[in-house]
Amino acid sequence: MKVESTNGMFTGASKYVLDEELAKIVNISMALEMPLLLKGEPGTGKTMLAHAIAEALHMRLIVLNVKSSMKLVEALYQYDTLTRLNDSRFGDSSRNVSNIEDYIRMGRIGQSFVSDERVVLLIDEIDKADTDFQDDMLDVLDQMEFDIIEIDKTIRAKNRPVIVITSNAKKDLSDPFLGRCNFHHIAFPEPDMMRKIVTVHFPDISRDLLENSVKVFYGMREFRGVEKKPATRELINWIRALEADPDFKVKNLIKGDIPYLGVLFKKSPDYAVARGTVSRMRI
Amino acid sequence: MFTSFFYLLRHVGIPVSPTSFLRLQKALQEGLIISIDDFYTAARAILVKSERYFDLYDQVFAHHFEGAELEEPDEFELARVAQALLEEWLKNPKELAEALGVDEESLSKLTPEELLQYFLDRLKEQTGEHHGGSKWIGTGGTSPVGHSGFHPGGMRVGGVSRNKSAVKVAMDRRYRDYSQEGPLTQAQIGEALKRLRNMIPVGPRDEINIDETIYQTMKNAGEIEIVFDRSLKNRLKVILAIDNGGWSMDPYVEVVQTLFNHARAQFKELRTFFFHNTIYDNLWEDPARYRKPHKVDELVRLDPETRFIIVGDASMAPYELMATDGSIHIEERTFKPSHERLRFIAATFPYAVWLNPKMEEEWPYTRTVGMVRDIFPMFELTIDGLEKAVNYMMGKK
Repeated sequence: MKVESTNGMFTGASKYVLDEELAKIVNISMALEMPLLLKGEPGTGKTMLAHAIAEALHMRLIVLNVKSSMKLVEALYQYDTLTRLNDSRFGDSSRNVSNIEDYIRMGRIGQSFVSDERVVLLIDEIDKADTDFQDDMLDVLDQMEFDIIEIDKTIRAKNRPVIVITSNAKKDLSDPFLGRCNFHHIAFPEPDMMRKIVTVHFPDISRDLLENSVKVFYGMREFRGVEKKPATRELINWIRALEADPDFKVKNLIKGDIPYLGVLFKKSPDYAVARGTVSRMRI
Repeated sequence: MFTSFFYLLRHVGIPVSPTSFLRLQKALQEGLIISIDDFYTAARAILVKSERYFDLYDQVFAHHFEGAELEEPDEFELARVAQALLEEWLKNPKELAEALGVDEESLSKLTPEELLQYFLDRLKEQTGEHHGGSKWIGTGGTSPVGHSGFHPGGMRVGGVSRNKSAVKVAMDRRYRDYSQEGPLTQAQIGEALKRLRNMIPVGPRDEINIDETIYQTMKNAGEIEIVFDRSLKNRLKVILAIDNGGWSMDPYVEVVQTLFNHARAQFKELRTFFFHNTIYDNLWEDPARYRKPHKVDELVRLDPETRFIIVGDASMAPYELMATDGSIHIEERTFKPSHERLRFIAATFPYAVWLNPKMEEEWPYTRTVGMVRDIFPMFELTIDGLEKAVNYMMGKK
């Protein structure tokens, strides 16, 4: 894939293989100026999509990593009382202590609002926060403005950011939240798609290695009793490991001699299961 | 206009709101959708908000657009949509006004009858304008599609080439695995248990306590004195007692395991005990129930704030619960009937619940379930039940 941006439409980025369906959804969400909510298994590239959009459309990416204890106001702005207190006590800073605005710092959402050019705002793992946070945040994104209470000032978005929201949760988010987003669920890529993804990351990979590693990888995803299945990220790291190993031969892979299982299976019970299954396969 | 498509979606149980339907109209109007493939993806992204409904959507889409001629919506259908719009308007005027792209104030001056007429006019106007558009989509969707290639089984995950028509993609039913009918999964349990928490300050003092800082600074005659606090962490203590014996619990083993696995990941202080049918003198720390007994009397030593969760079907012979020496295990002899033991636990831990993997409508058919319910509040071991149980356990006592 090459970096492309024709008429502001999103068509893909250098390290991201975009499926056509998703491209349509991204474009329509941008045209309707609605946030796009993405769900899907870990490792299906939800977060990567936002990076890809930013790269393809040459926009700055602002990432808000949601934490469980986060309050909405932290994402909007912060009033740095402590610095002000210190400044007023010691009086040796360039800031004007009587001007509260000097002590207001924009949070991630705030930054995306005051930015002079249009940005991509990624709100990552929204499901970690409680429902109140989600609903309140959507109000802000809907109105494209918020108030800074301390200085009685309203911040309005200069440019409406392109908003991508990701969620890992199986459970649905609240109805008002869903009502204001477009929705897409990214399924785990098929082998065909996976080969493309691998080729994007390893342009000079040999055909042999590509075919066999992907085949073995999908085989390993079917292992019984594995809690966390290896995802795209693990496959890419695994291939990197295989390529770095001078002793590795592709034909061993076909024989069932699979090295570096630890790259693919990161939980110790999973690793044990995988080891067991692989050694049985070899016989 | 696709009104009938909209109603079909609603009819099969996909929650599609009129507002999102209007948004789809807006997308059509702005020329963002130029083929049936576009329509398939766009309509899904805008109307359907959960992957659980993707499979249903695919079915409806295939049914609706496969070979179907698109008809002009009739007067009656439009009236129904207008009615739905009016209801939506009453609920949330602002959102609807925005979706329609009209001024909220000018609309709010109209009477309900006028408003209804207004919506009706708007809808007719849109069908008129989009006659060309819908026909386009109609022919685009129907002509190139054959019946071949229907895959009744399996899920087509992901998707690369879309040189298939949207109807055929829809017919693939790629999202079958995500539909709603499925067992309780770990992630779902996690959602329900997430609210079960008790925040206690732990760790390094790294959060500023503003009130205390101001107070201390004042006391210090203006010399700044900053006071730090520890941040809050979940330190709820939970005891999980699981009925793991006998054939009556066998069908529920998996669901209980899921609960157990999740609870283990979730709580810092989780103790698990096992019992068979009901509790006598001992609970067991090992699943086989013979190596590590834990005397029920000793539970008093534990923090009464501990949440005590019992999982079992509460189905047994009544004498097991009521009789002195009621245990069916020969080595387990006792002089206190089990129901007294249960009452003792309920009195020791005010936050105790009984989760029953049997569905609530089956409960009245087993006598002992009723007896146990007199002692513990009982909830179904489902997402709903779990949520109710969590509510109960987090309630004030």
